[in-house]
Amino acid sequence: MKHHPFLLIVILLILIACEEIPPEIRPAKDGETPIETPVSEQKRQVLIEEFSGVRCVNCPAGSDAIQVLLDIYGPQLVPVNIHAGFFAEPYPESRYDLQTQAGYGILEYLGQPLGFPTAVINRKQFPGEDNLQLTQRSWAGRIAEELLEAPTVKIDIRKDFAVTDRLLLVNVDLYFEADIAAEDVRLSVYITENGIEDFQLTPEGKVGNYEHLHVLREVLTDVRGDRLTETIRAGTMLNRRFTIVLPEAWRAENCEIVALVHQDGDSKKVLQAHRSSVE
Amino acid sequence: MYKITLNSVVRKILYGLIFWVCAISVSAQKGGGGQLTGSFQANANFFIRDSLIGAANTPQYDRQKYGAEAWLNLNYQNWGFDFGLRYDLFNNSNLLNPTDSYTAQGIGAWYIRKQIDKLGLQVGYIYDQIGSGIIFRAFEERPLLIDNALVGGRLTYDLSENWQVKAFTGQQKQQFDRYDSILKGLNIEGFLLLGDSTSRWSIAPGLGIVNRTLDDASMNSLVATLNTYTERDTFTPKYNTYAFSLYNTLSAGPITWYAEAAYKTKDNLNDPFGRFERDSTVVIGDKYFLAPGSVLYSSLSYAASGLGISIEAKRTENFSFRIRPQAQLNRGLVGFLPPMTRVNTYRLTSRYNAATQELGEWAWQLDARYTTPDRNWSFYLNRSHIDDLQGGKLYREWYSEVIYKHKKLWTLTAGLQFQTYNQERYEVKPGVPLLQTKTPYLDFLYKFTRRKSIRLELQAMLVGDDAAVNSRQDYGNWLFGLVELSLAPRWVFAVSDMYNLAPGRNSPELDGKKKGLHYPRLDVYYTLRANRFSLSYIKQVEGVVCTGGICRLEPAFSGLRFSVTTNF
Repeated sequence: MKHHPFLLIVILLILIACEEIPPEIRPAKDGETPIETPVSEQKRQVLIEEFSGVRCVNCPAGSDAIQVLLDIYGPQLVPVNIHAGFFAEPYPESRYDLQTQAGYGILEYLGQPLGFPTAVINRKQFPGEDNLQLTQRSWAGRIAEELLEAPTVKIDIRKDFAVTDRLLLVNVDLYFEADIAAEDVRLSVYITENGIEDFQLTPEGKVGNYEHLHVLREVLTDVRGDRLTETIRAGTMLNRRFTIVLPEAWRAENCEIVALVHQDGDSKKVLQAHRSSVE
Repeated sequence: MYKITLNSVVRKILYGLIFWVCAISVSAQKGGGGQLTGSFQANANFFIRDSLIGAANTPQYDRQKYGAEAWLNLNYQNWGFDFGLRYDLFNNSNLLNPTDSYTAQGIGAWYIRKQIDKLGLQVGYIYDQIGSGIIFRAFEERPLLIDNALVGGRLTYDLSENWQVKAFTGQQKQQFDRYDSILKGLNIEGFLLLGDSTSRWSIAPGLGIVNRTLDDASMNSLVATLNTYTERDTFTPKYNTYAFSLYNTLSAGPITWYAEAAYKTKDNLNDPFGRFERDSTVVIGDKYFLAPGSVLYSSLSYAASGLGISIEAKRTENFSFRIRPQAQLNRGLVGFLPPMTRVNTYRLTSRYNAATQELGEWAWQLDARYTTPDRNWSFYLNRSHIDDLQGGKLYREWYSEVIYKHKKLWTLTAGLQFQTYNQERYEVKPGVPLLQTKTPYLDFLYKFTRRKSIRLELQAMLVGDDAAVNSRQDYGNWLFGLVELSLAPRWVFAVSDMYNLAPGRNSPELDGKKKGLHYPRLDVYYTLRANRFSLSYIKQVEGVVCTGGICRLEPAFSGLRFSVTTNF
């Protein structure tokens, strides 16, 4: 018996002595943000659909994390902030109701989160995750993972906005780079708005002039996307047109058009996403 | 590709195992000498939408209407082997995520165990712990769908009659899959009688070591996040973390003293209240950091005729031990930190609970019970005290209870609970004052005959005022009443109601006014030998539960719940 503690101490020392080679950390630096490129040079662009609410105290931290990621990835990250779910009911003093029926439709389609902040990245079921909804701790890693892939489709958004009647014409061009085997491929088009000042619960309390970013305002397609019925092969080019009259309450100069090509069925994964300002 | 192939091979082996166990059990029951035992548990929920109380907007209320869970456990012993198999089933279940629906079924666990002389071996799904579980606890908690089984192998070796060494390695279970990180551990524990064989002094010391090696995918994800940090906030993360625990139980007659000290080497941790300073603004939220951790835990108890006293204390610092740093809430727990509050059972006294703070907590608890020699009177007192490491007040509870038994004819229990609950910290509700509650209760049991009895409960919860909003705190005051008729040994009927007597700032609104709602409940329990059935109609108040900065909706429930448990 008397030798056993000695053996344990030896094992303990061996364990501690095991030095490991650490991973390389490269903290973000200013001025490295990628810039917009022509569609022919478009790289993989990743969609992040963040579910939020004005009563969600932790959501501003999530939104801030997305802004930091945008500083790093620029146009390669396509953010959408969807006010839907348990914390989304506006306060009596709120100036706007940022909830939309379409937002709830997307939430129902993608599944409910375990907690907030939460986001769905490229609508992908990642290994080791419960469902499509990811907590903030996983966002950066999953985005980096998705960016490693090459795009199978490139998206161009051409638009024409008339200030007088606020009519917005949207042309979405899809350039497929590979054969798509999935049976059900769809296109979804959103309108989002930046810079909406309104109430938001934060760790410091209820703030009246919080700036809401990338807020989903409208979905121009079906909530689950419009099915692309054509046979899709490498070299296929498709075009879809949409129109919408922007309500007066939306500031057109702050609005963006977001287009995403995605699958439907067992896998809902997004093949590519793209955004473009309305004006 | 490799993983898919391996999984299919494992699946084939498992199905073969099921067939084999079934075959040998039939053979055994015909007189083959083996023994087959098991248990079965099933729950079925029928969801009835009630948007006024918040029982709405989940797949179950909106369209699915029905959800169920079931577990079938089979254990077979023969030829010196133990075999176990568990089949798990979830159909539109809200256990995994209370606001979503989870559907899956398959082999939830299996094991093969064999004792060869002094050597014990087990492979499969292993439930075990080291000491009180601080550095390692693989356990199952079905109401929360926690199932942290270690999927791997374990060896034990009896060094002597009272000393055993144990080694294990594997991965942690994640529903029907596994986390990729690897766990391994070593544990030695024993028992020593101090003095001769009549001595009442003994010690039971133990030492445990657990190592977690982070998988590449989790590390890559962590690195990607750290790359978004400034140089000031970032750090070099660790693949390997080692946790050590030294513990001992000293028994001296009526006195038992347990002490455990645990230390964890530098680990990649997450502070949900981390501060990022960017461009002169401060953002509070999830922030990774690197730090070693420690837990000191001790309990001292005295038990003698009619009197029982125990005192516990625990200091925790940076002791979140998870299978990967991305895991949150009750996911991926490698260790288990014992809570330092009493487990309340009455409906209103259990409304506010102090969640264990993994990153920093200083807590103590005193528990005392005295029963008079004639056993007619019992007195009980509990005091819980929890602060953070900076001295911030988190939780206080005074709990007192008096029980009077009158000639085995009736029993009256009366008690009073006082709580101070840091709702801002536990539920991340900024700016709310410390929640103060006073909860008196009465419990009266009257036995008509040896088999027929009735029990009445009456509870009231009075909360403090929230001066900032000129309202009562949280949901305001509550009243709860219950009548339970017991016709032993088979039937129990219960009816209860929880009423929001004086609504508070978070009570539901109807037509712009705070509304005091009723939350009734009806239960029928039927027991027939080893089988127990229950059918309940339930309306249950909703609540937001936030742990470590992440909020989780524990939704209101409205509907019918049926459950059955049996052993064979």
